Amino acid sequence: MTFLGYERPDGSVGVRNYVLIIPGGIISDVVSNFVTGCKTVVTADSGSGRSKRDRETIARTLIGLGMNPNVASVILHGRGLGSGYPELNVNRLADEIARTGKRVEVLDGTNDSTLDLVVKGINLAREMVQEASRLRRREFDDSNLCIGVKCGASDTTSGIVGNPVVGYVFDKLVGKGGTALFGENTEIIGAEHILAKRAVNEEVAKAILEVARETEERAKLIGEDIRTINPVPSNIAGGITTLEEKSLGAIAKSGSMPIQGVLKYGERPKGKGLYFVDNWMGMLSIFLGYAAAGAQIVLFQLGGGGLVGDTILYSSGGVVAPLLWLTANPKTYRRFGDEIDFYSGTVIEGKETIQEAGERLYNLILDTASGAMTKTETLTHIDPNQIYTVDPML
Amino acid sequence: MLLSGDVKIGLAIKSADNVATVLNDVSYGDRILIKFADTTNTSTIISRENIPFGFKVALKNIQKGEYIIKYGEVIGRATEFIGEGHLVHVHNVEGLRGRGDLKMVGEKN
Repeated sequence: MTFLGYERPDGSVGVRNYVLIIPGGIISDVVSNFVTGCKTVVTADSGSGRSKRDRETIARTLIGLGMNPNVASVILHGRGLGSGYPELNVNRLADEIARTGKRVEVLDGTNDSTLDLVVKGINLAREMVQEASRLRRREFDDSNLCIGVKCGASDTTSGIVGNPVVGYVFDKLVGKGGTALFGENTEIIGAEHILAKRAVNEEVAKAILEVARETEERAKLIGEDIRTINPVPSNIAGGITTLEEKSLGAIAKSGSMPIQGVLKYGERPKGKGLYFVDNWMGMLSIFLGYAAAGAQIVLFQLGGGGLVGDTILYSSGGVVAPLLWLTANPKTYRRFGDEIDFYSGTVIEGKETIQEAGERLYNLILDTASGAMTKTETLTHIDPNQIYTVDPML
Repeated sequence: MLLSGDVKIGLAIKSADNVATVLNDVSYGDRILIKFADTTNTSTIISRENIPFGFKVALKNIQKGEYIIKYGEVIGRATEFIGEGHLVHVHNVEGLRGRGDLKMVGEKN
């Protein structure tokens, strides 16, 4: 099966065609709001006072986002990031992104004020979006796709139908030679032994078990029953009783294919296939990490049965990767139908099988890849992103 | 009254499960047809309390301390006796993992 995408110099294929401006802050914010076709990251994670490991995570995230196939070209500026740490040096970020062969420009602001740089940025961005717009979509095989998934506000429909439908899609994509990413380190506790059995080798199996062990140890240090934190109250209100139950339902979204490796947050997979990502569930964090790893499209599989007053139609945390909202819960769909892209509650209603719903979702993904907008993409609203770091702030 | 309610549907994932997820809002006394995802076998139980859509019903008597099995796996442990047809949730089940509230490491099991 095929989709219409944009070919990049490194051989990857974009499903969108943005000019990315990083790091976040006033310069990127003003330029991306003023010039059409631009994206930026809005986050408070600048790296100051953070460990080397966390600074590398921030750098990896920004570099990965620049390398994402949905990005045609990148503008970087040296203001507002890192307080001088070498990992976050603007030229280092630029050099690494430039390895993709795409156009990377650094705003040289040595003698400029911030507003001078805004003007320079606007002029540069206008020229770069015009240049990007000259590229035409053409037909590519679906093996060029990389998809990331999160399940959230999970309820018992997630584990029974919603996640298995995503699992069907993951199996199909991986079977065709594509790449699929799943994660959420807390939500494998109680199910890690099942994932470990699907690892391609002993080393990967150990790495999966280690993620669960380390996450559980971190949780225990707090001195609370993890159930007071996760499953979150909306999970419990949706019928999920324990973290183990949540985890066993959550892993269904990974399908049944062998797991090729364990990736850090924002780390790019070395090959094709299914990967587990050691990331955190937060939706303003996880999709940014998937996009930095190279995902062109991200999926939010929503339970929603226990949601009370929440708004679900957030801006895409993937920044450059469009987000599709899915649910299997009939009540959620009746309530949030105008915010949800795909409904698999038909399986619960006995109108469709998991395979049939999975085929529909696969086709929607290909459509989205070819340029069809998701519901979230129709809005200009931008929520702040949250880069997943693990060390104390000092 | 006990047998006069509507027939409702419950889904168990594996034959070994001792709970099923109800796919309708269930009232006290409703007959619940239990389907299993791994076999064509079905069974019927009578609900002993109101159970909302998506919540779990006990498929047999579960003793205090006994494991709760869903997906063919342990999802927790009963903190009190749970009779067949009763709601299984946080009021009568504890998780075994991530128990930072328990003093000794390893005490959880």
